[in-house]
Amino acid sequence: MSSRALKEDLAWAVFILGVAAFFGVMQHWSMVKVSIRGELSRHLEERRAQRRAVQFQGVKTVSLAQAHALWQAGALFIDAREPREFQEIHVPGALNLPPEVVEKEGPGTLTGVPKDRQIVVYCSETACDAALKVAERLQALGYTQVLAFVQGFQAWDEAGFPADTSQ
Amino acid sequence: MARKLNWIILRLLEAALGAVFIYAGLQKHWHPEEFAEAVLAYRLLPSSLAGLAAAVLPWLELTPGALLVLGFKRRSCLLLLGLLAAAFLAVLLITMARGLQIDCGCGLFFQRQVGLAAALEDAFFLAWAAALYWWDWRQAPDQPLPAAA
Repeated sequence: MSSRALKEDLAWAVFILGVAAFFGVMQHWSMVKVSIRGELSRHLEERRAQRRAVQFQGVKTVSLAQAHALWQAGALFIDAREPREFQEIHVPGALNLPPEVVEKEGPGTLTGVPKDRQIVVYCSETACDAALKVAERLQALGYTQVLAFVQGFQAWDEAGFPADTSQ
Repeated sequence: MARKLNWIILRLLEAALGAVFIYAGLQKHWHPEEFAEAVLAYRLLPSSLAGLAAAVLPWLELTPGALLVLGFKRRSCLLLLGLLAAAFLAVLLITMARGLQIDCGCGLFFQRQVGLAAALEDAFFLAWAAALYWWDWRQAPDQPLPAAA
């Protein structure tokens, strides 16, 4: 009796799984098609760029080469990643300032830093929005020379640029 | 009376678990591109399958979650949700072992990275589903426990 009931539970679970999978594929068929064609990453990059153009309108960005040149020129680098990631490794001289800290500290953020100081904000890699969020917030706080380095620390590290691993 | 109270508590806990999975599923369903990015970041599936997984997974949470709230085939829904939580726990542990620092894409309460907190949260839901399955089985008349079968 119990074995039969267990089989019945499993059979219904498989049926519900099938129904759920069918609805999922139907609901997101366009994304499934793009994925099967092997174009998902490019599609996501395009959609991300479109979303960011609207969501972070007015935030200027820099390339890897420009970010490196600005670091050599003495720009202030802000690391928008989580403290744990920052403590492991970061751009030398960078300050750790995740979006939630900027939100919490408000106008008290970066006390003592001139409003016209060149600032470059980065996070972990291209898909993360933290750098753009922090850059937008710093602009709103009156900092006039804020740039977001959207390729992030991953690109910096892969390029072999200096990194600080001290805690 | 005690049996009725037992049943009410069981149903409330099942509905609460269903609601959690509905919420998690909706977060992913409403943001399919962000969720697809999260799936890709795990680097476990080829790009050609990541889109399929990102399309199907939210509905694997939504459908049994909704049916559980409605009280339809509750044990089957609990089995599915438990298996889903177990599979995700395995993915989290593999990702932690590989040292990837990525967003977990869990769609629950707030953004968090793959790590111990996300694994414990998932293990909690796995235990919740398993305990309810066992309890629901005990409530059913004339059915011994699966372990005693």
